[in-house]
Amino acid sequence: MSEQGKEQNSIPTSKVQRSAKFVKTGFKIGGNYVKHYSKKLFNPDMNKDELNEDNAADIYESLSELKGSALKVAQMLSMDKNILPTAYVDKFSQSQYNAPPLSGPLIVQTFKKYFGKSPEQIYDKFNLKSTNAASIGQVHEAELNGEKLAVKIQYPGVGDSISSDLKLVKPFAFRLLGMSEKELDIYMREVEERLLEETDYELEVRRSIEFTQACKDLKNVVFPTYYPELSKKRIITMSWLEGKHLKEYLQSNPSQEERNLIGQALWDFYNFQQHELRAVHADPHPGNFMITPEGKLGVIDFGCIKEMPDDFYYPFFSTTSTDLLQNKEETIKAFRQLEMILPKDNPQQIEFYYQAYKEMISLFAKPYMTDSFDFSQTEFFDRLYAFGEKIAKMPEFKQARGVKHFIYVNRTNFGLYNILHELKAEVKTDTYRPHVLLEY
Amino acid sequence: MASTEKIQNDYIDYVLTEGEQPKSVYIFAKKHEFSEEEFYQHFGSFEGVEQSIWTDLTLKTIAEIKTQEVWPQYSAREKGLSFFYSFFELLKGKRSFAVYSSKRAAKGMGTPKIYAGLKEEFENFSAQILQDGIETGELADRKFLANRYKDALWIQFGFILNFWVNDESKGFEKTDEAIEKGVNVTFDLFQRSPVDNLLDYGKFLVKNGGFKEKMKF
Repeated sequence: MSEQGKEQNSIPTSKVQRSAKFVKTGFKIGGNYVKHYSKKLFNPDMNKDELNEDNAADIYESLSELKGSALKVAQMLSMDKNILPTAYVDKFSQSQYNAPPLSGPLIVQTFKKYFGKSPEQIYDKFNLKSTNAASIGQVHEAELNGEKLAVKIQYPGVGDSISSDLKLVKPFAFRLLGMSEKELDIYMREVEERLLEETDYELEVRRSIEFTQACKDLKNVVFPTYYPELSKKRIITMSWLEGKHLKEYLQSNPSQEERNLIGQALWDFYNFQQHELRAVHADPHPGNFMITPEGKLGVIDFGCIKEMPDDFYYPFFSTTSTDLLQNKEETIKAFRQLEMILPKDNPQQIEFYYQAYKEMISLFAKPYMTDSFDFSQTEFFDRLYAFGEKIAKMPEFKQARGVKHFIYVNRTNFGLYNILHELKAEVKTDTYRPHVLLEY
Repeated sequence: MASTEKIQNDYIDYVLTEGEQPKSVYIFAKKHEFSEEEFYQHFGSFEGVEQSIWTDLTLKTIAEIKTQEVWPQYSAREKGLSFFYSFFELLKGKRSFAVYSSKRAAKGMGTPKIYAGLKEEFENFSAQILQDGIETGELADRKFLANRYKDALWIQFGFILNFWVNDESKGFEKTDEAIEKGVNVTFDLFQRSPVDNLLDYGKFLVKNGGFKEKMKF
């Protein structure tokens, strides 16, 4: 990034465009290596710092061009500074789409390694050509005892590359944002932890079974059946869920009623998890949902789960209740618990952050404050973005604030809002209410 | 009567427990209770034993991958990949010996003697899949170069063997990555590429003469 902050005239919006972005970055990084080694030929003393910097610059450049609306909103609540980790999260879920598909022999090898058998010996039918890319692996169609199955296989070495990529970008990010390593580290570790969890397929199967069991009574939500005996560290077998992805579904012109039904199912699914399970499917990427032919919401991929401890849950969600926000003293206490107001803040700062956060939360929590909410209205989203822009420019928010749990909880809720907006759904928001504590 | 296999296994056991080759065939035979004569019926020297272990592994790999149901549908590239994966999977069972043997062999120059049989089988196998690939048009048939493709694969093999010997990742996952990336790159080079088109274009320009003068070069 030699020029000062490249001008951004357009934002890549579609997934294809975004992944094209990363293909480009991939080429650049490849080029950086070539550059590095050719320089090294003449100067053997050269160390890798320059190379890492080149790479980090290119990665960051493509990140900063990726300001999708979700990211912009995240910027608002997560306060400018944790935007970077959020960008990583998105970058990693996007960039995986470029991984070249695994070769047939490697798939056979993976099965042999984990089961001691080839896929043909395990399933009645197995298609060696994958049907889709999952975030860190690919999906194959299979059949066993007359049932159609989806088999997800992970790319080898994903875990290692996550940690090393994060390490690579870190020093650059510190300097770029002018923030201390300690400040950023808390967020970075949170991101790394979640990303690494996603690579553990055995954990994913256990959680998928737990969550589908816990959510089984929710109306209009369906899940695939998971087969733990046919799953291993890098392989997951589940039943095949028929259905359309959100984009295709919307193109088929569903009626307002149908869209409301799907929107309601989504709202219930997320809020039941947040307020009853206190752990939530934290990857509301449209690709993780299907609309079944019966018009129900199918949920796949429980790779990313965010658990919310009580000392985060209560202060955060209680501020969505007007009863608490009207009590300034208790609200400030809640903000302190969430580290939105820090111990070293002086009285003016306390007042400033109290006002700013109060305004922001009452905006964010609008859907919670009424019995039903119409997500089709663009006005609400425009106000969110506008507020985000304003906050991003304030010098007071140049410093990291807020506990680490915000990253994924924000990502989840903004992701949810965005999907509901795309659906133009009107949902009853009083089905699963936050549990509120009024004193801190 | 000691079989070839018994002598191979006894030899592996000996070098791994003692950390070196037996001092003589006599000592080795006596320790494992067969006669020196029996040893010489099967092998000429200890190097011969080591060589046969590597060769047998290669033959076993090739036989095994060809029994796979999908084998006939595989492209040349996939057949190559399949060999590499299966070979290193089999080799895992003899890892200590493989590390011992390859580290000892690495000291010399050129292809060590103990790999002679392995190399021959590997090249026969490669030549066959490459030929198939050229016939189906999957790989580019380049004058002179096409005959050297198998050498490129052999170099790749040596590289991955060395990588695996030093690989400390769980389940040798890194070796899987090295195979997937390395073998794919090698096969990419065998395919028709922009360079072929460039050469082709160059030839065209030369044939349609005098372009140097016309272009004022």
